[in-house]
Amino acid sequence: MTSQHSTDFRSKLKQEIPHWQQEGIISEEASVQLTQRYQLDDIQKESSRLLAAVLFTLGGLLLGGGVITFVAANWEEIPTFAKVAMLFATLLAFHLTGYWLWFHKGLTRIGHALIFTGCLVFGANIGLLAQIFHVSGKWYGAFLAWAVGSLIMAYAVRSWLIGILSLATATIWFSGFNFDAQNYWHTFFPVLIAAAFLPLAWRISSRVLYTATFVSLTFSLSILTAEKYSSGRYILLAMAVSGLLAWAVGEFHRSKNIKAEFGNPVAALGMLTLAIAAFVGSFHKVWSYGSSYDFDKSTPFNLVLPALVAGIVALVLLINNLISSQQSQRSFLQIAVIAAAIILSICATLGANHRGDMVLLTLGANIAAFALAASAIASGLLDERRIAFWFGTLFTVILILSRFLEYESSLLLKSAAFIFCGGVVIAAGIAYENYLRRKENV
Amino acid sequence: MNKRALIFGVAILLQTLILVGVPAKKIYTRSNGRDVVLKVAPVDPYSILSGYYVILGYDIGNPESFAEDVKLEEGASVYTIVEQQPDGVWKPVKIEKELPKNLPPNHIALRGKWNGWQVAYGIEEFYIPETKRQQIADDLTKNRNEARVDVKVDSDGNAALIRLRIQDRIYE
Repeated sequence: MTSQHSTDFRSKLKQEIPHWQQEGIISEEASVQLTQRYQLDDIQKESSRLLAAVLFTLGGLLLGGGVITFVAANWEEIPTFAKVAMLFATLLAFHLTGYWLWFHKGLTRIGHALIFTGCLVFGANIGLLAQIFHVSGKWYGAFLAWAVGSLIMAYAVRSWLIGILSLATATIWFSGFNFDAQNYWHTFFPVLIAAAFLPLAWRISSRVLYTATFVSLTFSLSILTAEKYSSGRYILLAMAVSGLLAWAVGEFHRSKNIKAEFGNPVAALGMLTLAIAAFVGSFHKVWSYGSSYDFDKSTPFNLVLPALVAGIVALVLLINNLISSQQSQRSFLQIAVIAAAIILSICATLGANHRGDMVLLTLGANIAAFALAASAIASGLLDERRIAFWFGTLFTVILILSRFLEYESSLLLKSAAFIFCGGVVIAAGIAYENYLRRKENV
Repeated sequence: MNKRALIFGVAILLQTLILVGVPAKKIYTRSNGRDVVLKVAPVDPYSILSGYYVILGYDIGNPESFAEDVKLEEGASVYTIVEQQPDGVWKPVKIEKELPKNLPPNHIALRGKWNGWQVAYGIEEFYIPETKRQQIADDLTKNRNEARVDVKVDSDGNAALIRLRIQDRIYE
């Protein structure tokens, strides 16, 4: 029960219960039941445990860092065998102490912190072993070894934190490997990332790891399409489809009520990615051919293919949602987002291949951007989701202001635009809050 | 032993195997390879130091060191044959695309990769302790033609860097 409710909520509940009891709102029996249900007596214990975990992690980091710096500093004085033995001993010490505290003493946070530190030591050891034996190679090679080792440990102890470490190191490796890749094997990286991290996040119900995996997917699909000396416009395609995919997955979780807690952060990430892509595309300079940023070469199709596959997966998920959806208003909202992503993808593909009129492409991206803003506002109204409403409103304002700053140089007109937009935001905010209040009263 | 402990034990074992795997090839070459001394090519003083290692160039890395004109594909593996000279240093002879067999005793092949501007053998980065960084960089800059490296080369042509020597000074 405690894992579903924040400590903040439980602390407030703990403060309120005695008042409710005094005022006769709840009985003494109900007060005891609530205290037990939300484990309110454990809050203090938990917060002191959390503090201890932070201190232990810090202490562990310093300790591990100390041993590693000692090995590095006394490079010549320590014989090779002793150096290697010290590195392995440090790794084992962290892991075994962490395991013992976690699973034998029940000190979950401290144990978790120590095993996480052990995985950091593992990464440092890779670098130090390479140095001891003068292993040459590409800088990113060590990150792959670090990612694989951390992933194994993340599964073994079901840790979201070590999962994040593995995801981050894998993504760093890919950003280097992608640049040097000679064949097309690296195009499978997004699939591997999804296959490696989504099941872990699902099993341990970690929203953070689940959302972070989609961040990594968006990043890797984007850099895949950013072929050297190409115009780079395919990045907008990759962002549009990975944004749509994240949004589709979020909608899937929300509408089917399967792991519903995953829905909001992933959908928000998707919407944000789509909005960024549309915002970038809304500037006419992005589509101007022959500018100093515009290279003639187009990215090979093989590198764009993973993005297209992601787009198809997103569409299948959304169409499935649309068919089973009973609410026609929500369907309209979904269609608007799909349309925005498709328009943006078409514009990016045409622009990357130097086809299509610059004015039309700019117009397309602007339509996509306004469709996204409208659908966010609609979601704010339909689902009573305040953050979506504000996001949509602010995005609209930013778009209008950007167009003014881009095309209009007269200060007077600019000032009028600022005043108008400010007025719109305030008016929309007041209207929305009133709308929510009216709904609450009904 | 319960299941959780077993899984945790396997995870530690796999992490250990990955760590062993990092220097495994170099350890094999160090223990099974033949001693070869290579001359370090004059080093550009502005790019000697890069992080915690010095970057070493070799005559055998430069295609112009070979008598015959060689056509190399980027990323392709090549085998450089070196010959031992009376002064103990091994000099480049020629480049082959396949690992040559039945070489005379004073010849050995080193496996390298053409990266577009040099043939790299995995012995170009020499890690050094922080305290000696500047000393080695200065020594290399002053005594450009005196630097030698001791390497071990195994039967597959893989090389492992053992030590750097500049006149009578040894850096390991």
